[in-house]
Amino acid sequence: MHEPEWLAPASLEEALALKAERTDATVVAGGTFVGILVNQHLLAPTAFLSLGGIRGLRFVAEHEGELRLGALATHRAVELSPLVREKWPALARAFSLVASPRVRNRATVGGVLGDADYASDPPSMFVALGARVVVQSRHGAREIPAEELIVGYYETSLAPDELIVEVIVPGGPHRAAYRKFRTRSHEDRPSVGVAACARDGGLRVVVGAVAGRPQYFPELCTGEPASIAQAYAEAIDPIGDISGSSEYRRRVIAVEVRRALEEIAA
Amino acid sequence: MSDPRATGSARYAEDFELPGMLHARIVRSLFPHARVVRVDASAVPESCIVLTPDDVRDLSPYGCQIEDQNVLAERARHVGDPVAAVAAPTPEQAEEAVPLVEIDYEQLPAVFDAVEAAQPGAPLLHETAAAGGAAAYFAMRPQPGTNICHRFRIRHGDVDAGFAEADAIVERMYRIAGAQHAHMEPHACVAHWDGNRLELWTGTQTPFSMRDDLATIFGIPPEAIRIVSLPMGGSFGAKTFVRTEAIAAALARKAQRPVKLVLPRSEEWQTLNRHPATVTVKLGARADGTLVASQTTCYADTGAYADCGPGVAQKMGFAAPGPYRIPNVRVDAYCVYTNLAPNGAFRGYGQMQSTWARERALDTLAEQLGLDPVELRLRNIVRDGDVYCTGETLHDVRFAECLEAAAAAVRWSEGRRGKGIALVMKGMQTPSRAAIAIERDGDDYVLRCATTEMGQGAKRALSLEAARLLGVDVARIRFPDPDTSLVPYDTRTTSSRSTYMMSRALAEAVRDPRGYGEIRNEGGLDPDTGQGIASTHWHQGAAAADVEVDEETGKVTVTHLHTTTYAGRVVNRLGAELQTEGSMIMGLGTALFEEVAFEDGQVINANLSDYATPSFADVPTRFTYELIEEDGADVHGLGETALPPVPPAVGNAVASLGIEVDELPLKPETVLAAMKVRV
Amino acid sequence: MKLRVRINGADHELEARTDESILDVVRRELGLLSVRETCGIGVCGACTVLLDGEPVSGCLLLAPLADGREITTVEGLGGDDPVQQAFSDAHAFQCGYCTPGMILTAKRLLEETPQLTEDDVRAAMSGNLCRCGSYVKIVEAVLQAANA
Repeated sequence: MHEPEWLAPASLEEALALKAERTDATVVAGGTFVGILVNQHLLAPTAFLSLGGIRGLRFVAEHEGELRLGALATHRAVELSPLVREKWPALARAFSLVASPRVRNRATVGGVLGDADYASDPPSMFVALGARVVVQSRHGAREIPAEELIVGYYETSLAPDELIVEVIVPGGPHRAAYRKFRTRSHEDRPSVGVAACARDGGLRVVVGAVAGRPQYFPELCTGEPASIAQAYAEAIDPIGDISGSSEYRRRVIAVEVRRALEEIAA
Repeated sequence: MSDPRATGSARYAEDFELPGMLHARIVRSLFPHARVVRVDASAVPESCIVLTPDDVRDLSPYGCQIEDQNVLAERARHVGDPVAAVAAPTPEQAEEAVPLVEIDYEQLPAVFDAVEAAQPGAPLLHETAAAGGAAAYFAMRPQPGTNICHRFRIRHGDVDAGFAEADAIVERMYRIAGAQHAHMEPHACVAHWDGNRLELWTGTQTPFSMRDDLATIFGIPPEAIRIVSLPMGGSFGAKTFVRTEAIAAALARKAQRPVKLVLPRSEEWQTLNRHPATVTVKLGARADGTLVASQTTCYADTGAYADCGPGVAQKMGFAAPGPYRIPNVRVDAYCVYTNLAPNGAFRGYGQMQSTWARERALDTLAEQLGLDPVELRLRNIVRDGDVYCTGETLHDVRFAECLEAAAAAVRWSEGRRGKGIALVMKGMQTPSRAAIAIERDGDDYVLRCATTEMGQGAKRALSLEAARLLGVDVARIRFPDPDTSLVPYDTRTTSSRSTYMMSRALAEAVRDPRGYGEIRNEGGLDPDTGQGIASTHWHQGAAAADVEVDEETGKVTVTHLHTTTYAGRVVNRLGAELQTEGSMIMGLGTALFEEVAFEDGQVINANLSDYATPSFADVPTRFTYELIEEDGADVHGLGETALPPVPPAVGNAVASLGIEVDELPLKPETVLAAMKVRV
Repeated sequence: MKLRVRINGADHELEARTDESILDVVRRELGLLSVRETCGIGVCGACTVLLDGEPVSGCLLLAPLADGREITTVEGLGGDDPVQQAFSDAHAFQCGYCTPGMILTAKRLLEETPQLTEDDVRAAMSGNLCRCGSYVKIVEAVLQAANA
């Protein structure tokens, strides 16, 4: 088997140039998701584009009241950051619930969004918090609302020459929660994940792990917790698999959305 | 200095290598039932050796209890049935060669449910009954014209008359899902031919059965085969009898070089799982709770090949009535072929399935009679000297003690909402034979015996026992890996028999001037009446659970799990504790979520993310157990006892909240569905 | 590719492919057999190695990602490490296949959080699976090492 090329740019500029030129290359940040695919022989690319050598994308910082996370910040860095724990505790929690410390030591903020894995915990939380994803190509940068980034199973709205460079999470007073409902082992991936955030601008409820992309219905986010929860359960057509049938997940959505809303109301 | 397991110097079957060896992979059927029409390996590079059905036509069929399996299948009977194999200089090259072997199939009708498969008219997997295998210790009762490869019955008293005098009768059908052993080290072996002598290094619990089966397959005398059983990174029943070894040996024969075969993780689910089962229990009692009749029908789904399924079905059957005095007992247990991957030995060996059914049915009966479930059990429990429904007399009986201790542990008398208890009565391989030789080497003693090490601590236990009997420090005892060319015959390291049997053989060896000791336990059952000696030694235990149920999602949380088991004399304290803890945790996985899931005969969760096993955080906050000990008593096997009672203790605890679940595992979805019909 | 990596305190230049895992490299090139593949998808932790002191899944770490960095396997702890000693003393293993990964995970946990409760240990170690179910004694061992 042909050995894939290992492209290791030292700067963002270089990486963006390679991203445009080498459309055959698979992007590697922490390499956990790509590691699974390669180890299981589900992916055999001609080249890897490793972002690990780029400096300056690992930050976890506050700027003008907003949280700014570099694309290469690890899950562990977000989870353990005193800043995130103090001001965005639900986000710290969502990251802390992903897989094991081994995976969180490697997996990145950009990676978990770019992989668009339907059963990851952080994307729903980002959507609920109203985060914006900064993406960049050689031609410049743009911001994508988090809810518009993931469009389906393992599919994003990124252009082929774009890379995720940063995620911006609005600050200010808010109450948020993340609930991960597992049907089997404690180490299981979620059967249903619910992220909710209430702030002055209104309420955002997002359900993950039940469809190709985080499920967010702005028009359903008003009313009593139980009625919002019921409306979400009716609006979503959940997948059915080993973690729960479609019918069962619908039931759990109604319960867990209500509980998340009660949690932030408490 | 730390233990080799802590320093990283421990070695397992997977680590074994020979110079010049090739690496093998298996080419497997994509269909659950299909005739192999053509195998074309012309696209495979010349550096690879390809084994096709043509290469193994001279080999005899095999099977530890029924010889119904060929080394490679010309008629594939399950998804993953080995059809061809390749060996290459590197594992990567072998893997790349697999898709290059082209196979044409002609599909046949398939059946995936044991009850359905047992009916007349179901698609047949094996048209004619094959001969009994070397490890069959009872007569097979295949039912011609059906997929039933063995039927076992107990006939004791008059069941119809018993039910006629009952004031209350409970009859329910219970289903138990299949499970995967998920031993952390995969199946791994290296085969090498030295002329007409076969040498095989493998992780196996059954070195002598392996030797005898390979002798049958290759048509050579057993003495021409040497099996070395290397330490295993877990087994739990999976590394028993011939799994991958015949293919490795056939490849090595063709390649004229040693061949190593390590199973990729996903192929473990295609190699061996635990029997899914359907068990129907009917119990009758008088108003005061006295049991008058018990009737059980078991269907054990053995998959495409019998393997040790007849034994599993038989034990499922003979353990079904449980440790209760019941004058009228009828048991019908069927071992049934289906087009699923083979099912075989698994910690608990059939007895987990029937224990779930009986102990759940008892609680339903108690409910119906308005009796406390502990009271109902105590009223009927067997005592020393009682005669079991097989006709054998029971000795050293401690069930009542186990039950009372378990109930006390969860403060049963203070209210039983959310609490459940269950008893287990588990048999041990009977008849069987164990032998050991003690050799002197300078100041050291070398133990030569076939007891294998899979993490259960047998080496430690027997070394401690030898040191005690010989009156020397344990550091002077050596216990090399079993090598069939050097150690005396032993039945196998299964059914929690080794510490019990081998320690007695050891005591004989210490007394014997030549240092040789041999023990036999005689017995066995008539498969048509179930009369005889089922087990010369019974494992006895009880479990108790305290649970919470999320009434909106059906999720069960076990807040306290407890077991009490009768240990007799404890040889290896830490080992006894670890085996008990491990059994309880595995039982919890079976109780709450472990399940091999199929779609059209194909396993759909063949990885350790989609197949969940218990983690640290799944161990209940209160996790307690006790071993009832008795100085000077027999050693009692503890490798499995604490597993079978755990699922029914949890199920009964859930039932105490009015939620009657008949199915394992107690998935949130299953529990929620049961709540809709709440009593 | 040539992989320059410091492993268990010694600098190495190893042959590796860009699409293979560090697990395959350290087993093949250096015979560090304590690093073991069970699940192959980062779930079980039998392949745990420390990368610059942090536990990672060796089965997922593409070899080039270790270039210029430091890898520690349990062989590198020497045998007298307090965590190894505690596991031996508490007999916190059965088959032992998962033990190296458990020890490395515990090692980092103890550096990060010297004051540990039983719940901390269970939560932090939960991503390492032991099918033999030695969890109770592993928690004891880690707490013992914390108090050593």
